[in-house]
Amino acid sequence: MRARPVHRFSFAERAIHWLAALSFLYAALSGLALWSHHLYWLATVLGGGVATRWGHPWGGTVFAFLVGAMFLIWARQMRLDSDDRTWLRNAKKYAVHDEAGLPEAGRFNGGQKMLFWGQVVLTLLLLASGVILWFPEWMPRNFRLAAILIHPIVAAGSIGMIILHIYMGTAAVPGSFRAMIRGWVTPGWATSHHPKWYREISKN
Amino acid sequence: MHTVAKLVDTSTCIGCKACEVACQEWNDQDFTISGFDGSYQTLPDLEHNFWNLIKFNELSREDGQMTWNMAKYQCMHCVDPGCLRSCPAPGAIFQQKDGIVDFNHDLCIGCGYCITGCPFDVPRLSPNSKKVYKCSLCSDRTAVGLEPACIKACPTNCLTFGTREDLIQIANARAGELKQDGHAGAGIYNPEGVGGTHVLYVLKDAADPESYGLPKAPKIPWTVSLWQGPVKWLGNLVFTGGILGAFFHYLRYGPKPTGDEEGIDA
Repeated sequence: MRARPVHRFSFAERAIHWLAALSFLYAALSGLALWSHHLYWLATVLGGGVATRWGHPWGGTVFAFLVGAMFLIWARQMRLDSDDRTWLRNAKKYAVHDEAGLPEAGRFNGGQKMLFWGQVVLTLLLLASGVILWFPEWMPRNFRLAAILIHPIVAAGSIGMIILHIYMGTAAVPGSFRAMIRGWVTPGWATSHHPKWYREISKN
Repeated sequence: MHTVAKLVDTSTCIGCKACEVACQEWNDQDFTISGFDGSYQTLPDLEHNFWNLIKFNELSREDGQMTWNMAKYQCMHCVDPGCLRSCPAPGAIFQQKDGIVDFNHDLCIGCGYCITGCPFDVPRLSPNSKKVYKCSLCSDRTAVGLEPACIKACPTNCLTFGTREDLIQIANARAGELKQDGHAGAGIYNPEGVGGTHVLYVLKDAADPESYGLPKAPKIPWTVSLWQGPVKWLGNLVFTGGILGAFFHYLRYGPKPTGDEEGIDA
């Protein structure tokens, strides 16, 4: 028996996701270069310290715009309902593959929704503090003192979330990487991971 | 090894600005008037191409006359420099064994973090080269046994160059003289919040350095210390913990079932 592919992500969704991923990767690596002297070799790889100082804010700005685009296309679908809250309270069960009793997920499960909202909030904070660090000569001293502390804290949180996201989207949940690359999943995958969503799209 | 220092005896500064000119000449600066605020001071503040400024602090005396608390303002060459602690580019800011804090402009990336980290608000970003500049304590002169240009030019011996130990003794002796002359509050300015400085001052009123345009209790901003200390360790924990956590989760629990285990060829 050969399964018919189930359409999961449109080309626009995939394009925006991967442009965001590329700009995040650049912003994260160039940011890590400035995080610690031990990681400064990343700046050398990325074209030198001056290029890194010039490019990092632009990479971050592009990422922030793409997060804005993801907000426009996904915000409505990312609203948490009561099932999602129950799911999140039992996220530990999901992590150890003991899913009996977990509420069924819609197009996105509670964890994915939390990643989305987390990234929206953290990106806003990174953008605000980042603009202050971008143009120090125009910024009041107290703003700069706050930004120099807030920007690395928020960035570390954001990178931590994305490490988890990359793991989930590749090794941890087979089939999800293909969903974001080619746009489709198998009926079995859809039933297993997002049954509520699969029932809804099967009705039409 | 002895460390070097500059001593500024504000009680003998006559505001001739010879040190400003010598600094501009030796460091080959293009002089531009950046602003004028109606005082005798050359410029309102330090500039990327103006590293040594005599501040003409105007005060009213008890008899109703005005007086100047003149003080030479430049990089203080802190023992624990906030600029160095905040700099993300290795080698762009360095501290020599003789105590001089200097910039290597080939390595400077122009991020401006040193400007924020400096408790004295000294470094300045050049809009032309996008790099940061400040007094080098004439490290290119002291390296070959010459005194800094500002000190060479001073006509009143208000400025002295020497080892830091010697200058602290000289400064204390001078403060003692001033006390005998009736300036009971005389003392030296060598702020402990930054571990002391390699630019020392004798002030007639040491309890009120702000009247000389010097910060009262400068120290490295706490946001910079927090970022360079605990925040980095927590962040490193997040990065390594995240990667190792994912790896060991996979070892222990493996991937999610795909839903296609029943022989579906997808």
